[in-house]
Amino acid sequence: MGALPADWTLPALTPFNAAWFTSGALAIQRCTQCATLQHPPEEICHTCGTMTFDTSTLAPRGTVASYTVVHYAAHRALAHAVPYTVVLVSLDEAPHLRVVGNLAGNDVHIGMALVPYWDEHAADDGTTILLPQWRAAG
Amino acid sequence: MRGAAVVAGVGESTYYDRGAAPETEFQLACIAIRNAGADAGLVLADVDGFVAYMERNEPVRLSAALGVGDVNFTAQTFGGGGNGAGAAVTIADAAISAGYAECIVVFRSLAQGQFGRYGQAAGSRRAGGNAAFTAPYGMLTPAQTTAMQTMRYMHDHGVSQDSLAEISLTSYAHAQRNPRAIRYGTPLTPELYHASRWIAEPFHLYDCCPENDGAAAIVVTSAERARDLAKPPVAIVAGAHGVEHRDGVGAFGEANFPTAHHRHVGRTLWQRAGVTPDDVQVAQFYENFTGPVLMAIAEMGFCEPSGLDAFVAGGNLRWPDGRLPINTSGGNIGEAYIHGFGNVVEAVRQVRGESTCQVADVELSLSVSGPGYAPGSAVLFGRV
Repeated sequence: MGALPADWTLPALTPFNAAWFTSGALAIQRCTQCATLQHPPEEICHTCGTMTFDTSTLAPRGTVASYTVVHYAAHRALAHAVPYTVVLVSLDEAPHLRVVGNLAGNDVHIGMALVPYWDEHAADDGTTILLPQWRAAG
Repeated sequence: MRGAAVVAGVGESTYYDRGAAPETEFQLACIAIRNAGADAGLVLADVDGFVAYMERNEPVRLSAALGVGDVNFTAQTFGGGGNGAGAAVTIADAAISAGYAECIVVFRSLAQGQFGRYGQAAGSRRAGGNAAFTAPYGMLTPAQTTAMQTMRYMHDHGVSQDSLAEISLTSYAHAQRNPRAIRYGTPLTPELYHASRWIAEPFHLYDCCPENDGAAAIVVTSAERARDLAKPPVAIVAGAHGVEHRDGVGAFGEANFPTAHHRHVGRTLWQRAGVTPDDVQVAQFYENFTGPVLMAIAEMGFCEPSGLDAFVAGGNLRWPDGRLPINTSGGNIGEAYIHGFGNVVEAVRQVRGESTCQVADVELSLSVSGPGYAPGSAVLFGRV
């Protein structure tokens, strides 16, 4: 229980989100002009309008901002995965940035300290995706 | 702000369980529009515009099928779903007030048996856009995304599971008086609510609206044109449709998480109408899920978030004795899920005195559309 199937949906990569999904680090989109951090990544900086970006790697620590334990499988491929936990994680070095992930296990509460790990997936177009996931710290 | 437009007619099809309608979705739309026209005392040749939201049945086809005359105006809102119901009425109000059309049908038709369900996710090997950040984690449906918002909101503001239950219990209670309602004759008890299975915590089965087949429509025209029609006109006192800066940004990136995305709508609606929530006698709050309804009650200004438990307690939302009866037809949960357009029809009926849970002396009647999605919308009806 709690783990999604290995052949479940993967993110479609774009030049804007590829670092997040392939780097194996908390690589957050950063504006090259004003250094604003954005997540989810956008095609234009919401602060200054610049359209070029690099990334900033944040320390691998987060805190549960919210969560839901999903009991009803909204797709038949998930029928054997329920119940699974989806967490919304506030990144400790930039708490205004929130990222979605799964938590290993269903023991969860708001404020819980987490650390990331990365699940390696081979996509059908040959790319390797390192999907950020989370587990309890310590 | 009171524009020149009024509601002259309301109508609906029979409401059915999901997949049970003998008619197609297009036929359901035609039935609801014909009924709204007949209620107004209009011939459909007098209609010259159509406004909807997330609608599959196009005005060109409808106008040909229904014997409508020359069409002068069509429009549909942006945004994901039921959040557009009030906005659609507002667009019709704007078009009538500006003189672009004389008689507009605003409608929504839904046959989930024919076209598939919203609560089921489509399978796809690769997810793009904002879904790239959610679908790989099994976060797929509105129940799950609004559960994420609601869980944090309950934590921050001390909102109890019993308050979630009260939203659903209120809709079921009101549906027991409405023969159109799908849950007519099927009451809900607190015990049944709490014993029902989890869908996505904190939502039980009964926190979630059903999915249904049916259609609902209203006729919007000028106050002048409405004078010789069959029913007393109902004023569109004010509408609001929008979103504050960075609210509704995808994958929970909004600056003011958790939110139902209706704070801006609340502020602008009361400002435009020149009244306050205390002036409203009855309200329809689109129930997709119970949590977003509670959030919308607070964001529309009826109480502080920390006061929600007290605001909904003691039958305060229930007809006939509650201070603010809501969802008096049974709403999306109890009457039928027609993407919130049944809530709009009911709000008009409350001004006319035609509800099956009729509130006394209604001057102002509010309809708030799909909370949890942006841009949000709401419309305030009143006596002419």
